[in-house]
Amino acid sequence: MTPLLSIEDLAIEYVTRRGVVRALDEASLLLTEPSVIGIVGESGSGKSTMGLAIGRLLPSFANRLHGDLKLEGNSVFDANDESIRGLRRKRLGFVFQDPMTALDPTMKVGRQLVYAGGDSFGQNEALDLLARVGLPDQARVASSYPHQLSGGMAQRVVIALAIVRKPALLIADEPTASLDASLRDHILDLLVSLRTAMNTGVILLSHELRVVLRHCERVAVMYAGRVVEDGKISVVFANPGHPYTLALLAAAPGRERPGEMLQPIPGIPPVLSGRAEGCGFAPRCRFAGARCQVERPVARLVANRMVLCHHSERIIDDPQKKDHAR
Amino acid sequence: MSAQLIELVSASVTYHSGPMWARRTVEAVHKVSIEVQPGEIVGMVGESGSGKTTVGKLCLGVLQPTVGKVIFDGHSPIDRSSRRGQMAVVLQHPEWALNPRLKVEMSVAEPLSIQGGIASREKIRRIEEALTMVGLDAGFAQRYPHELSGGQRQRVAIARALITRPRFVVFDEAVSALDVSIQTQVLNLIKQLQTEGGFASLFISHDLAATRYVADRIVVMRAGEIVEQAPVRKFYDRPSHPYSQALFDTIA
Amino acid sequence: MRILKAFSAFYLNDRLTGLAGLALLVLILIGVFGSMLPLGDATAIGAGPRLGPPTWELPLGTDELGRSYLPRVVQGIRVTFLIASIAVMLTAALGALIGMISAYVRGWVDGLIMRLADVMFAFPALILGLLVAALIGPGDVSVVTVIIAATLPLFIRVVRAVTLSLVERGFVVAAEVAGASRMRVMIIHLLPNITGAVLVQLTYALSVGMLIESGLSFLGLGIQPPYASLGSLLRTGAVYLTIAPWMVFSSGVVLSLAIMSVNLVGDGLRDMLDPLRGRSLR
Repeated sequence: MTPLLSIEDLAIEYVTRRGVVRALDEASLLLTEPSVIGIVGESGSGKSTMGLAIGRLLPSFANRLHGDLKLEGNSVFDANDESIRGLRRKRLGFVFQDPMTALDPTMKVGRQLVYAGGDSFGQNEALDLLARVGLPDQARVASSYPHQLSGGMAQRVVIALAIVRKPALLIADEPTASLDASLRDHILDLLVSLRTAMNTGVILLSHELRVVLRHCERVAVMYAGRVVEDGKISVVFANPGHPYTLALLAAAPGRERPGEMLQPIPGIPPVLSGRAEGCGFAPRCRFAGARCQVERPVARLVANRMVLCHHSERIIDDPQKKDHAR
Repeated sequence: MSAQLIELVSASVTYHSGPMWARRTVEAVHKVSIEVQPGEIVGMVGESGSGKTTVGKLCLGVLQPTVGKVIFDGHSPIDRSSRRGQMAVVLQHPEWALNPRLKVEMSVAEPLSIQGGIASREKIRRIEEALTMVGLDAGFAQRYPHELSGGQRQRVAIARALITRPRFVVFDEAVSALDVSIQTQVLNLIKQLQTEGGFASLFISHDLAATRYVADRIVVMRAGEIVEQAPVRKFYDRPSHPYSQALFDTIA
Repeated sequence: MRILKAFSAFYLNDRLTGLAGLALLVLILIGVFGSMLPLGDATAIGAGPRLGPPTWELPLGTDELGRSYLPRVVQGIRVTFLIASIAVMLTAALGALIGMISAYVRGWVDGLIMRLADVMFAFPALILGLLVAALIGPGDVSVVTVIIAATLPLFIRVVRAVTLSLVERGFVVAAEVAGASRMRVMIIHLLPNITGAVLVQLTYALSVGMLIESGLSFLGLGIQPPYASLGSLLRTGAVYLTIAPWMVFSSGVVLSLAIMSVNLVGDGLRDMLDPLRGRSLR
């Protein structure tokens, strides 16, 4: 069975005037079948780069150094121009943060859908699709220009555009960051429902743990260009196996008791200019030892999840932790 | 007689737009009454368009209400001289928090220069003190903003805000653009500095989780009006108003 | 130092811009130092035959009064550049001030300034030229006035737009809340941060200025004899186009080269400062 998405030791760097920035430092991810996976990472983690790389949507100053990315068995980086365009059109869908820049401001929404839908997709199909993404009054929406719609409605249109060709994989990068909190859950519920409705895999990229906890089945935590922990939500959040996941859960407000002090993570995320010697999180890690400075952790299966750490066993058994998946 | 520091008395702000024959009126804030006691952190929570930023501007005196009054320590209306050295603000975007042409020490010292009457030796001492207070070592004074990370820039903005030991500081989405791990660093810093310095503060945010972590009291705004005001404990338990409850539910 | 860095950045980023920058530099140097070089005397009447073709001693031939054409063209470059540069510097200073104040003060002042700028913007430069020449007589002052009038509105607009985005920024609001006077905010916070936009507009305005100068001088409303600008040289050269084409050819080529290189340098500058650079997909 060809896996839906296979990312193996992918390393990507950006070449800028100010120097080289390594955005992905051998990141790996495997999706065997359509599911809803959340990728959590802060700035510099590489999650957006990985999301864009799936469709080879990286800017011209990005270089793939080594590693591979295969979508349904097809290598994305080795594909010629025509096949990559075909992949982007038919097998992938993208939803980004700002709906207003994703939609063509000069074209009515209905026409954009029909245009994207290809042959045998007409006005009626467009109206059906708008209904499917939860928009009422479809005829009015279809004849509106993007600026006439509210943020939440526009994002639903963007989702409609992304799924119009029934893609195999949908990648949503912070899809609700510019929307009001009251809309957030509705939009995310919609995205998640696509997995069962259309058998589409959904990759949700977010810096917010809460969001991923509520809506995803599986979580991949990224730090310094690598996927440092990967497993089912119930496993990872209840009992983190990587110090970064643990620290992130302890640092985020929302779960503390009144008057309780949160533990921030000291220091700042690294900006890599080359392959990291040792573990990328070591400078900020309270479990770090001498080995962590010089030896890069290798992916291991520990207590039902994949983790990149020399000390996972100790962390999983750490009595100081509390259950974060309450 | 309560000695509140800032008081809004039934303040409304109305904006007009459009040509004379097709005037559109938008009420950003409608009959809002709030008090901020000395040394208290009031958290203001609401979505975009709720009017919370406008209330912040009213409290600072950079915006005058169309109807109603804003009183700061007995002064009304608030003008530049009553504000000088007494008030400060920290805004959302770290990339625009500092003048890119000025070294950190110039940015931090500016409120002192505006206040006037401080000898340069004392200024240098105060700059160093302010930077240390926000957890940056003295070497940062010579750097330019583009050499700093987002979190570091917000810290410098906080140092600048507190250098005149103001009595009132407005934080408007001051941590919203920061990564979670940095956000908590800055939230802890705000709590600590407020305990040490005793200033009153208005902490404005759309994020209830972050707000209740720092605030003593919370005001929830929606569509220009206050829907609920209560001590922060209520927001760890369960708030009363359905809108507050909806916000509360997004955290759990 | 920064200029040298900028030049090398130009050349590395975009060959065309680098070449244009080089051409521009050469032209400016010729204009500035040309009179010191042994290229001949621009005023010596009868130095050669009238309307003589190019020879080794007289590389660009002679004009209708027998003056060597090469030094005339060199003087032409200098005058055109000088007039355009002075005018554009004045415009930049005025435009920056007016645009910044307009955006910061807002209210009816802003409205009035914008409407005035719109009116000025609507006037084609040559019509303005005729008007000004009729009022104060043709000559260099007239040309400078017209260039200022033609390029000022765009400057005001651009600076105003940049200022509007600046006044919302954290450091400006923080200064105002701390009690800074408007003057202080403008001098310390606004002015230093609009220089980038002003610089880009400056290069465009320069090419417009050179075109206006040449156009007005060509019509006889600009630089008067015995001084020569590229435009006035074209004016006399046009009369003798069929019998002494080298005059129009040389002054025309130089003018085109000058304007093109200024434009390309302006484009390069704008691209360098553009935050969306390099966003094309592979």
